[in-house]
Amino acid sequence: MRYDADGITTRAGRAGRWLAVTLLTAAVALSGAGTARADDSGETEATEAGTAFRTATVIDQGRRATASASTGDYLYWVFPAGAGQRVSAEAEVTLPEADTRTGPVTWRLDVYDGLRRHQSCASGRQSATAQEADAALTLECAPRAVRSWADPWSDTPLPGAYYLRLSVAELPERDLGLPVSVSVEVTAEDAGGSVAVGGDLAGPLLPVGAAGTVSAEAADIVREEERDGGRDDGVYLAAVPEPEDGWNGGWWNDRWLWTAGGGLLGALAALGGYRLTRPGRGA
Amino acid sequence: MTRALGGLLVALVAGGLAPHAVAESRGEPEPPRVNLVLDVSGSMNERDMGGGESRIAAAQRAFNEVIDAVPEETHLGIRTLGATYPGEDLEVGCRDSEQLYPVESIDRTEAKTAVATLRPTGWTPIGYALRGANEDLGDGPGSRRVVLITDGEDSCGEPDPCLVAHELAASGTDLVVDTLGLTRDDAVREQLSCIAEATGGTYTAVQDADQLAEKVEQLVRRADLPVENPTAVDGAEECRDAPWLGVGVYEDREEFGEHRAYRVPVQAGQELRVAASVTADRQVNRDYGVLLRALDEDGRELTRGTGAGTGRTDVLSTGLRWPVEEPDDDADDSGDSGDAGEDRRTVCLVLSHSFSAPDSVVRTPGLPVELAVDVVSAADESPDAAAFGLARGWAPVLFLAGVGLVAGLLGGVLKRVVTALRGTA
Repeated sequence: MRYDADGITTRAGRAGRWLAVTLLTAAVALSGAGTARADDSGETEATEAGTAFRTATVIDQGRRATASASTGDYLYWVFPAGAGQRVSAEAEVTLPEADTRTGPVTWRLDVYDGLRRHQSCASGRQSATAQEADAALTLECAPRAVRSWADPWSDTPLPGAYYLRLSVAELPERDLGLPVSVSVEVTAEDAGGSVAVGGDLAGPLLPVGAAGTVSAEAADIVREEERDGGRDDGVYLAAVPEPEDGWNGGWWNDRWLWTAGGGLLGALAALGGYRLTRPGRGA
Repeated sequence: MTRALGGLLVALVAGGLAPHAVAESRGEPEPPRVNLVLDVSGSMNERDMGGGESRIAAAQRAFNEVIDAVPEETHLGIRTLGATYPGEDLEVGCRDSEQLYPVESIDRTEAKTAVATLRPTGWTPIGYALRGANEDLGDGPGSRRVVLITDGEDSCGEPDPCLVAHELAASGTDLVVDTLGLTRDDAVREQLSCIAEATGGTYTAVQDADQLAEKVEQLVRRADLPVENPTAVDGAEECRDAPWLGVGVYEDREEFGEHRAYRVPVQAGQELRVAASVTADRQVNRDYGVLLRALDEDGRELTRGTGAGTGRTDVLSTGLRWPVEEPDDDADDSGDSGDAGEDRRTVCLVLSHSFSAPDSVVRTPGLPVELAVDVVSAADESPDAAAFGLARGWAPVLFLAGVGLVAGLLGGVLKRVVTALRGTA
């Protein structure tokens, strides 16, 4: 994504507003097409989970993924989230048969962003303990709403990939390795205009998957990167599908209505005020 | 508006390209390689796998199913331990591990015949067998997995299987060992989970023959993930000696209390994004943290990523992003970057962790570290707080209405004054 947008935009001047709308429409249309393509490529329900960040299984929003695993495994999935979305991850764990277990077990669901930064759950029961007799347990984690821009030093949720990690937090050592089956689902809802912040991220936070280049000289690295100018092709981990409304969430939010409403009200009030004080009234 | 438009263009390009980019495969696919290591020690005669089936019979049945199901591209090998020497001599018994079937494109009939000949016989030299299994897999890129199936702990003691696992994991060959225990014995579980933990594998306590077959099949499938192995790098203690990194994933080892530094060249107008994780591949104390600092050429901290946690974990991670702004005129670029361009900056990444471990725990090799570096074009400087600078809520709406009212009133008054002045003129 190397190109000079500023040169174009400064020249665009006031026409930029209209151009922007046109481009937005195009962007929405294009990104929609992108998603469709990803869906077409033989999307079946995921039945495996990854065991590390790098091997996380890609899942899409609104699709249930299942996996069979051993108690004590750390299970990873990765899903997309766009700006303006409030995502919520739900996990169901079917525990091993009660007669093979020896004590209570605590499971935990964590969400990390595309840069592997831990995202706290704003709501939901993130960790739960199952007693010996319980057959299953349910966990939920809904991190804060995704914003389209944030200061670089903050860990505000940003558009991109998110990791989901399901693991056992506490267990009797004797129960390690017993078979469990789990299923997870990520749903997203519109977070509304209150989280519609200004600015867009240059690109979504996607996990890099390609092996890197090491050198004793900086110049080698720079040369290498200049050579494969389109280096963002293929460096990312896996086909994380773009959300329906694009990574940056589109341009529409209810701020347009509020602002237009305010403008309309202002115009009416101006008209009313003028009629009150204009000459000819009461004359 | 221009900023918003710039962002839109980015959105447009990202939206158009991303699905293509990620769908593309890179380079020649290396065949995934899996080595099944089966314990054929005397105790495998035990008939406790459900329905009076012996452990060895259950294992043989599972192997046959796996051999039938293995994908064409996967290279599958089989190694045994304790298959030949029935005697009492520790020296000989603890070297009793051999390759039953080499790691290559599998001939299903041949492999099944070889498996059928196995009779439970000897000792359980797990550590020795793991080294052999690693050699069987050969080196070169592509995923390398060992699936170890055993019903007992190592009966030789030397070499310690868990230490062997650490040694193999640190040898830079990206070996993953998954372990399956056929008994629910405390010593077996500890040993097998230690081996799995040290190599990033999983430990399973097998309940019955069907589960055994299913699990082995699942583990063989896991070898076939289209995931590239990270590049090995050796971070330095100081920034000035640190290796240079480009875009990609890297792996390193960091001992307790150690710092590791890496350098990344970033052009002005680009954003550096780094994710780092430290794997707890052995027993560690309850509370831990990780710190990733980005320093400039003069050692000034630009930004940092921190992570902390408590309790059972496999990995602790953090990340940071740092956009490099266009240089000021007085920017001092005298550091390591030399004369190759004014607008290139050096960002030094220093990674440290605060894991600690009980005294009994092995110290070297250090904990595995993974670093993912990305450089993208940066967004412009801070935009308005609200989308397009738009308002929301009653306060701005009432404010706009109030301003309108005042303007209308003033307009009316002004008109009156003007009319009055005209009247008198």
